[in-house]
Amino acid sequence: MPTHVKIATAPDIAIDPVTLDIIENALKNTRYEMDAVLYRTAMSPVIREQHDQFPMVTDPQGRMVVGQFGSYIAGLMASWDQTVEPGDVILLSDPYLCGGAISHVNDLLVMLPIFYGQGDEAELIGWASMFGHAQDVGGPLPGSLPTGATTIFGEGLRLPPVKIYERGKLNRAVLDIMLNNVRQPEMNRADLMAIVASCRTAEKRVIELCDRFGKETYLAACQALLDRTYRAMKQLIVQNLPEEPQFFEDYIDDDGLGNGPFKMKLTIYRKGEEAYFDWTGTDPQALGPINFYLNESMFKMFIGVYLIMVFDPQILFNDGFYDLLHVTMPKGSLIQPEFPAALGCRTHALTRLFDVLGGALAKRAPEFTTAAGYGTSPYLLYSGYDKDGEFFYLMEITYGGIPGRPIGDGMDGHSWWPLFTNIPTEYLESYYPIRIDAYTSIQDSGGAGFHRGGNGIEKVYTFLEPGEISIHDDRWLTPPWGNVGGKPGSRSTKILRRTDGSEQILPSKCDQVQVEPGDQLIYRTAGGGGWKDPLSRPAEFVQRDVKYGLVSAQKAFDDYGVVLHADLEIDYPATEARRAAIAEARGEVKGFDFGPPLEELLANAQAETGLPAPRKPQPVKWAMARAARRERATQPEPLVSAD
Amino acid sequence: MAYRVGVDVGGTFTDLMLFDERTGRYWRHKTPSTPHDPSEAVLEGIAAICQQAGVDPTSVAQIMHGTTVATNVILEGKGARVGLITTEGFKQILHLARSQTPGPLAGWMIMIKPEPPATLADTREVRERMSAQGQVIRELDEAQAEAALRELIGSGIESLTISLINSFANPDHERRLKAIAQRIAPDLPVTISYEVLPEFREYERALTAAMNAYVKPRVRTYVHNLDQQLRRQGIAAKLNILRSDAGLMTAETTEENPVYTLLSGPSGGVAGALHIALRAGYPNILTFDMGGTSTDVALCMGEPNIARETVLGYFPVKVPSVDVRSVGAGGGSIAHVPALTKALRVGPQSAGAVPGPACYGKGGTQPTVTDANVVCGYLPPSILGGAMQLDVAAARAAVQTIADATGLSLLDAAEGILRIVNENMFGALRLVSVQKGFDPRDFALMAFGGAGPLHGNALAELLGAYPVIVPPAPGLLCAMGDLSADYRDEFARTYIRTVDKAEQEEIVGILRELGAEARAMLQSEQIPAERQELRYFVDLRYYRQGYEMPIEVREGDFEGELIPTLVRQFNEIHDRTYGFMLDSVVEIVNLRAVGIGRVTKIELPEAEPGDADASGAFVGEHQIYRHGEWLSARLYDRARLRPGMRVEGPAIVTELDSTTVVLPGHTATVDRYFNLLINKG
Repeated sequence: MPTHVKIATAPDIAIDPVTLDIIENALKNTRYEMDAVLYRTAMSPVIREQHDQFPMVTDPQGRMVVGQFGSYIAGLMASWDQTVEPGDVILLSDPYLCGGAISHVNDLLVMLPIFYGQGDEAELIGWASMFGHAQDVGGPLPGSLPTGATTIFGEGLRLPPVKIYERGKLNRAVLDIMLNNVRQPEMNRADLMAIVASCRTAEKRVIELCDRFGKETYLAACQALLDRTYRAMKQLIVQNLPEEPQFFEDYIDDDGLGNGPFKMKLTIYRKGEEAYFDWTGTDPQALGPINFYLNESMFKMFIGVYLIMVFDPQILFNDGFYDLLHVTMPKGSLIQPEFPAALGCRTHALTRLFDVLGGALAKRAPEFTTAAGYGTSPYLLYSGYDKDGEFFYLMEITYGGIPGRPIGDGMDGHSWWPLFTNIPTEYLESYYPIRIDAYTSIQDSGGAGFHRGGNGIEKVYTFLEPGEISIHDDRWLTPPWGNVGGKPGSRSTKILRRTDGSEQILPSKCDQVQVEPGDQLIYRTAGGGGWKDPLSRPAEFVQRDVKYGLVSAQKAFDDYGVVLHADLEIDYPATEARRAAIAEARGEVKGFDFGPPLEELLANAQAETGLPAPRKPQPVKWAMARAARRERATQPEPLVSAD
Repeated sequence: MAYRVGVDVGGTFTDLMLFDERTGRYWRHKTPSTPHDPSEAVLEGIAAICQQAGVDPTSVAQIMHGTTVATNVILEGKGARVGLITTEGFKQILHLARSQTPGPLAGWMIMIKPEPPATLADTREVRERMSAQGQVIRELDEAQAEAALRELIGSGIESLTISLINSFANPDHERRLKAIAQRIAPDLPVTISYEVLPEFREYERALTAAMNAYVKPRVRTYVHNLDQQLRRQGIAAKLNILRSDAGLMTAETTEENPVYTLLSGPSGGVAGALHIALRAGYPNILTFDMGGTSTDVALCMGEPNIARETVLGYFPVKVPSVDVRSVGAGGGSIAHVPALTKALRVGPQSAGAVPGPACYGKGGTQPTVTDANVVCGYLPPSILGGAMQLDVAAARAAVQTIADATGLSLLDAAEGILRIVNENMFGALRLVSVQKGFDPRDFALMAFGGAGPLHGNALAELLGAYPVIVPPAPGLLCAMGDLSADYRDEFARTYIRTVDKAEQEEIVGILRELGAEARAMLQSEQIPAERQELRYFVDLRYYRQGYEMPIEVREGDFEGELIPTLVRQFNEIHDRTYGFMLDSVVEIVNLRAVGIGRVTKIELPEAEPGDADASGAFVGEHQIYRHGEWLSARLYDRARLRPGMRVEGPAIVTELDSTTVVLPGHTATVDRYFNLLINKG
């Protein structure tokens, strides 16, 4: 616990609903103002143009009142043994020292304690915090996300929690050490300052709220907002979670070292007003860097936000409801790896977690849940030295097919990640030796459905300087599944076309691929799965998709049973007959459609994808031993069983 | 020939102001709008106001017009069928947009993405390519392009957009395509992206150009018809349209680039507010224009703050616009209580004009902000002369539903609704002030629009922005703004270079060229030389930041230490706005010249302040509910308030189109221009 700090407690006073709503709104605005400050001042495109960053404001105990990814501060403060004082700013980047609050070393996590009152009267009334993805934090390869890393020592600089500002004074030594270890120190400095500026903005706003309403009222309001979410979530849980255990499984295709696929399995059930989420059955941790060190509180947050978005998006989502959720995560598994497992490429598991969560919930409320999307955060990294010997390094996140949803079709080539945006072609070409020859969504890649899955992205890059590229993607082997009768989306693929016309299929995770000027990379991401029976999709919508070039006439015929004339007018009688024929031939529609069985996907991998099937993963021996030892050392977790 | 008419077309009323340039006299007129064809009300209004003033309509020299035609076309989705030409490989530029989905996590589940102004079925690719430095990588394949254009035009599109990758650096291919299109279809409106927005970032440029194409036919028809009708009535007056940045442009330019008028309506209000504020001696103001469904706010420091982008619904349109923030909070905003959270929410749904608030007795039953004002007594049931009687019982019944849902008393529910709507508007005012690094306490608050004066004092309390200025006839400010706007046009060029690699000579050369273009524009508008003004801006950011800030350059600095001065100013503004500066190299992004043609300003009626005693305007008393208790407020008739008079709060000042509340602990004085200035104390 921090020393010498007076932590405010929420007074037990009634707060009128109007004041509460006003404070709620003010805090929501604060959270968006944090974003605005960051976007305008940060330098790396991945933060600024793509918005890979997450803000929050907490109560004195570190519970997120508004924000996106919250929930880590209480855990961190439990092991913090220094003072926390006005003007301090804590920085860290080591996932293993914050219980997975951030899950790879690229994320610079900044925490700023907010104090109210002067001198000895000053009380800690909350935290402003934000983390953002730094484009490079050192290590052997630009980007600090080597796909071949087998421990976190092969990734980048790990900062333990440290005061980067101590009572308002910049800790030059720490900053210098950090910047001395990265490839683009100016960028990291600007990004860090921008994150701190965002947190300072939030600090100012919270203090203003205390000035205006009084500290006591403000604190009571934070508590009331948490309580309000608690009550709302309790209802959501009772209404929507099954008492009968439901499980769902899905896969990460490989770990970048040729091992895979890795299973993620989640079982969900409810007892009374409380819900249980059990990851038992998830595969052991991987040798490669796809492990996702899942923070328990954060997982509760994911569950909460998912339930809120599915069932009632009006609810302010915060940490209020954690006591209602119980989580089991096996040690030494893909989601609870033993130190020092490599973590750099954890976005695949992080995203798949939501697919699995949605799948498990879908069994109870299929009409409310979606299909699976492109299922990861596809990256392209390109670095080298230009003609003047200047180092250049680009990291770009691309997107793919959003799944078919209850509200409508999945968007084509959009971001599954909130508020992320693409990097403009004209920006890329102005600042990097690269040319974009095409940027489009891939016809027919979205799974067919009453609501169509979104198409994946095809981006064609021509490299203008010699350099090296890295690729981080998934869903090249197992397609994003369809739901409630919808069909799966297409898989991802990467093709490198050399200047001599020869083509090479690149693995979905690879590093240090040498490119020469004129070489072309065709980067294709996965499509989203479809939602509900495609035969029930109005023929006019299918026709429009064909006119738009998003779906081919052939797919309209094959999957939707829509027959179009050459001029793309609908042949209604033929459509009716075709649909009837498909319906009869296929029989009952599947709840989930995963495409061919896994064995078949593996057997046909080389023929269908141009890539060899991954090897069955072997447990990492040291990790298993360590996990077993830790398991023995801790109290056995209470076994919960469904009554 | 020395009369000018300002015309503002609003959702409910069309407001007009006629101004005699020789004497400074003016007349006002209000007539119901005619949404099916807004020009009807404009023409009728011009005839009526001229008659009222005894002025021969043919002696009107200028008509200055704020119009929401373009805005409405977009909001109602009733624009033209737009064809789009892109570079090969980028057909889906508008479809993919910036790929963004809303927050928080899983926000994509509830996203509804509207169809862009040009559909994929109406988009064609052409073979060509420029580099970001403006070099031709692939020569335009004119034969292929012509075939694509012929086919697209033949398919029945009504308006054409051409937006190619990197055209900001070299518009040659766009221009050649335009020439081909015009050869094929001489009457088809064509918009090329370089002419609308010569700046980098292809999606925003293509979208802005496509939006221009989308509104063009309707705006063109409107402006053209209005002009014709005026001629037919013997009015030879020159028709000018107010731009989003509160400058004027000619009817011809409007027909070419109507996208510049998207915020024409609100910018008229800002121009009018500023005109009054400058006369009254308050150059720094926050404008607070509260209407029935929304509230527009802006910050001005002697001139309006101009933003580079306006977000219209889902679409970010990049045209210079008065930095007006709009919130869905107005007199008609509906209060509601969601079942799951039991929170009290106000808006953004609005009862609109029909059925309107419950107290209007037009069939509305849902509780609105206006109803809460009636319940709390801020809005006396009988507004001056009983022209409109408000139904207090209906207002109370409506607000009671909120009391029942929240467990509050009727009065506390009503006051709660007002506090929440005030908070929503406060949020918008903070966006333009605090969040931009400005302290609202350094600003006066100009309250206008139907409901602005009713809430202005409460907002000033929240912001600390005093005095609250309530102009005479607060509902007519937009027409005055139209009348007092200057001609304005902007000429810009993207010039991306870090300052260490930039040549002062080159920068100055480009600025001078842009200045010459601006000067030529002013000449063509026949602005006399002494009324012409040129201003220069350089947009800067730290190398690789994504957003730039405009820094003004004076012509006198062209020969001096231009670059170091720019860098110093940029660092200062960055520090003030964001609280830090960097050692990083500063990068130039755009160079711009703005041509301004000053018009004669309207003179406001003025009188020497006299006695402070306002009892001559006192008309009665009325109870108001505030902070849990009933207070007795004095009622005044605005028409009888003369310069110098003082009104102590709590008080309510009524006039034909508006009601002003003076809260307890505040005093309103009438200044020499008949403005009410509300101050603390």
